[in-house]
Amino acid sequence: MTDTAYALEVRGITKTFPGVRALDEVNLRLKPGEVHALLGENGAGKSTLIKIITGIQPQDSGELIVNGEAQTFRSAHEATRAGIGVVHQERNVITDFTVAENIVLGNTPVKGGRVQWREVREGAKRVLDLLDFPIDPATPTSLLSPAQTQLVEIARGLYTDSAVLLLDEPTASISETESKLLFDVVHRLAAQGRAILFVSHKLEEVFAHCDTVTVFRDGRSVAESEPLANYSKDTIVDLLVGRTLAKLEVPVRSPSEAGTPALELRDVSTAGGHRDVSFAVHPGQILGIYGLVGAGRSELAKAILGLDRITSGEVRVNGAPAQIRSVGDALGRYGIGYVTEDRKAEGLFLDQTVARNLTVTVLKRLSNAFGFVRERAARATADEYIASLDVKVSNRDQLVGQLSGGNQQKVSLGKWLAANTDTLIIDEPTVGIDVRTKGAFYQLIWALAEQGKAVLVISSDLAEMVTLVDRIVVMQDFEVTGSVTNTHDYDEMSKSVIRLIHEERIDVVEG
Amino acid sequence: MSARFARLARDQNTILAAVIIAGVIVLTISSSGGFLSPISIETFFQFLAIPIVIGLAQMAALAVNQMNLAVGAIGGFAACSAGVLIADFGVPPWLGGLIAILIGLAAGVLNGLIVVLTQINGFIVTLATMTILSGAQYAIVGTRTITSASWPEIAAIGTARPLGIPLIFWIAVGIAILLSVAYRQTLLARNMLASGGNPLAATLSGISNSRSLVTAHGLSGLLCGVAAFLVLASLPGVNKSIGEDWLLSSFAAPIIGGVSLTGGTVAVLGTVLAATIVRLVDSARAQFQLEPSWVNFVIGAVVLGTVALDRVRTRRPATRQRSRRTPPDAPPTAASRAIDPGAPA
Repeated sequence: MTDTAYALEVRGITKTFPGVRALDEVNLRLKPGEVHALLGENGAGKSTLIKIITGIQPQDSGELIVNGEAQTFRSAHEATRAGIGVVHQERNVITDFTVAENIVLGNTPVKGGRVQWREVREGAKRVLDLLDFPIDPATPTSLLSPAQTQLVEIARGLYTDSAVLLLDEPTASISETESKLLFDVVHRLAAQGRAILFVSHKLEEVFAHCDTVTVFRDGRSVAESEPLANYSKDTIVDLLVGRTLAKLEVPVRSPSEAGTPALELRDVSTAGGHRDVSFAVHPGQILGIYGLVGAGRSELAKAILGLDRITSGEVRVNGAPAQIRSVGDALGRYGIGYVTEDRKAEGLFLDQTVARNLTVTVLKRLSNAFGFVRERAARATADEYIASLDVKVSNRDQLVGQLSGGNQQKVSLGKWLAANTDTLIIDEPTVGIDVRTKGAFYQLIWALAEQGKAVLVISSDLAEMVTLVDRIVVMQDFEVTGSVTNTHDYDEMSKSVIRLIHEERIDVVEG
Repeated sequence: MSARFARLARDQNTILAAVIIAGVIVLTISSSGGFLSPISIETFFQFLAIPIVIGLAQMAALAVNQMNLAVGAIGGFAACSAGVLIADFGVPPWLGGLIAILIGLAAGVLNGLIVVLTQINGFIVTLATMTILSGAQYAIVGTRTITSASWPEIAAIGTARPLGIPLIFWIAVGIAILLSVAYRQTLLARNMLASGGNPLAATLSGISNSRSLVTAHGLSGLLCGVAAFLVLASLPGVNKSIGEDWLLSSFAAPIIGGVSLTGGTVAVLGTVLAATIVRLVDSARAQFQLEPSWVNFVIGAVVLGTVALDRVRTRRPATRQRSRRTPPDAPPTAASRAIDPGAPA
C-alpha cells in the first residue's frame, strides 16, 4: 500500500559507488503544498538523491514513490513526465541557443516533429514574467552573466509546471533581490499545492522560507521530514556536522586606510560599459564589492585584469600607474591574483591532479634554469597548501574533478595563495560550499589580510559581505553608487546598501 | 532568433557574398568576359554541386562537436559499389543509385554507433573507417574506370540544364534548403544542436546524446551517399580516386561558412557560399594556369585564416545587457559620480 498523501516519498534508498556508500537507506517524505529543506554538508549525499529523483541515475535499492506510484527513472525525461521539475545547481545551458530555447529544453513544444517557435517564445515569456526577470526570451544565452544564466536555469525548472519541484542551491549565485523574487514564486507554487524540495547551504534562507527539513550526514538521514520549527540554527548546524561546531569568531579588525593603496581605480570606464569607477583597497584591508545581478561586478574584475579594455581613467598599483594586459601580467608584474567565480570553467584543470592545479601559478618559480619543473619542490608546495587549506584528498595526485565542490574551491583559492601575491581578487568565494568550509574560508581570508595583503572580495551574498569584509563598495548598473564601512550589523548594513542601490542616485540629482 | 544574432549571421554571409562578387569580377575581367560565357557558367555550377553537399555532410558532424574524416571514403566507396553493381551485376541503374545513397547512410550510422558504443573520439573512429572504406573501394574497382555509359538514365541528370544551370546544382541547393529548414524547425535537429553545444545540459534535460551522435553521423553519411549519387550523375565514370580530394574542401566550406568548431551551431547558407568561394579559387587556378597544388595551398591558408579571425572576433567583449532593474522613478541619465574611496559613509 502506498500513501498518496505524499507528492514524493523516498523509502530506504541506497546508492553505492565504487568504494563509497553515497546513500544509506535514506528516507524523505514531501507533502503537497510544503517547502521542504534538504540539508547536508558537501558529500553528504544530497546531490546523489537529487540525481536519483530526477532520473539521471537509478538507485541500487529502496523505493521512490511519486504521487503514489513507485518509480525507477531511467532518464531525466521520464522524471519530467512523472511531474518532477528541477533547477540544477550547475549552470548548464546551451550557449548557442536563445534564452527561450534553453528554458523549454527537453520539453520543446512540437507538432509533427516540428518545433513550435511561437509556443517556445510564449512559454518562456510566461515563466520569465513569473520571475519578474526582465530579459528578452530571444537573447542569446552566450550574452548572459553567470547570475542571469542561473535565472534561466530557474526558469527552466518552473517551465514544466511540475507537481514536485526540486531546487538545488538555486540562490548560490544570485543576489538578494532575485532570491526574494524566487521565493515569492516558490511560496505561490506551494500555495497552489505543489511540493517543493529546497537544497541550500544558506541557513537564513532555509529558516525564512521552509516548513520542514531533512538533514543528511555521511549518506544517512539524521533528521527525516521534521517540522523546521523544532530546530534552531545551532541545532541544525550540530546535526549537519555531527558535533557542536565552534561558533565562527569574527575578528575585530581595524585596517588602516591611510598610506598608498595596493590597488586603486580612478575614474575607470571600460569598453564593457563601466563609467567612472573609483575605489581603493589598502594593504591589510578586505574590500567588498557588492551589487545586484548585472551591476557589473565580475566584469569590473575582468577589466582590471586586462580581459576587457579600459577606455579612460587609470588603475594604480602601489601608487604607480599600471598597464595590466593579462592575468599573467597581473601576476608577474603587479602581484595581483584572481580567483574566478566559475571555478569549473575558469579556475581549475579538472582532469589534472590536485598538485598540478596548486602549482600552476608558480611553475616558473619551481623550474630550474633549463625550464624543467623541480618535481620535489612542486610536490612540497602542493603538500603545504593541501595541509594548510585542509583539502580532503586521498593524496596529492588525485584528480581535481573527483573532489567535492568545497574542496575544488579550496584548490582554486590555494593556487593563488601559492602565488603569494600582494593583492588578491576573489570572485564569489563561497558559492555552493557548506557551513564548515565557509567558516574556514573566512578565517583564511582574514589571515591573509592580517599578513598585510590587500583583498578584494566580489560577492552577491550580503550576509557574507557583512561577516567578511571591512568596507562595502556598492555597484549598480556598471557604476559605483557609494561605499560604507562595515559595522558587522546585518540589518543596518542591508539598509545602507539597499539605499545606495536605489535612492542614492536620486538624492544626488536632487542635491 | 534575436535580431542581434541574425545581424551577425547576416554579416558573415554578407562578407562571403562580397568575396564571391569580387572573385567573379576579377575572373571576368582577367578572362575578358569569358568567365561569364554560358559554357563557363555551366561548368562552374556543374563542379559546385558536390562540394556543397560534402560541405553540408561535414557540417552535420561538426554540429554535434564531431568530425567525419570519412566523407571522401564513404562517397568514393558508395559510388564505386554502385558502379560495380550496375556494370558487372546488371543491377538496374536507378536501384544502383539508390544503393549508393543507402550505403552512405549505413556507413554514417555505423560511424555513429561505433562512437557511441566504444566512447572513442569520432576523429579516430572516422579515421579508421576512412582507411577501411578506401581500402574496400580499391578492392572492388582495382585500377579500372567504370564509365557512366553503364547508367545512362542517371547520367542524363548530370547533363540536364534547366534554366541554363546544371540540374545537379539545383539538387544541391534543394538539399541545402531542406537542411536549413530542418535545422530550424525539427526537434531532432534542435536536439542534435543541444547535444553539440553542451552535452551535460542536454543530458540533464532528458535529451539523449547517443541518439544525437548517431543521427548526426547518419545524416553526414547520408549526404556523402547523395554526393556519391551526384558523382554517378555528373562524372564520366568512377574509379579508385573518387573521394580522395574531398576531405579538405568538406572542412573548408563549413568552417569558412561560420560553423563553430566546438559544436552547437550550423550555417547552411554560409557553407553553400563558402563552397562557392572554394570553387572560385579552383576556377582562378584554371584561369591563371597555376599549378593545381596552389589550390590546396590557398584553401588551407584561407581555412586557417578564417579560424584565426573567428578567434579574434569571439574575444571581443560582448556588449553588456543593460539591467532594467533601476527604479522606475530614477532619472534616465543619473549623474555619475566618483566617490572618495576612503570617505566615511
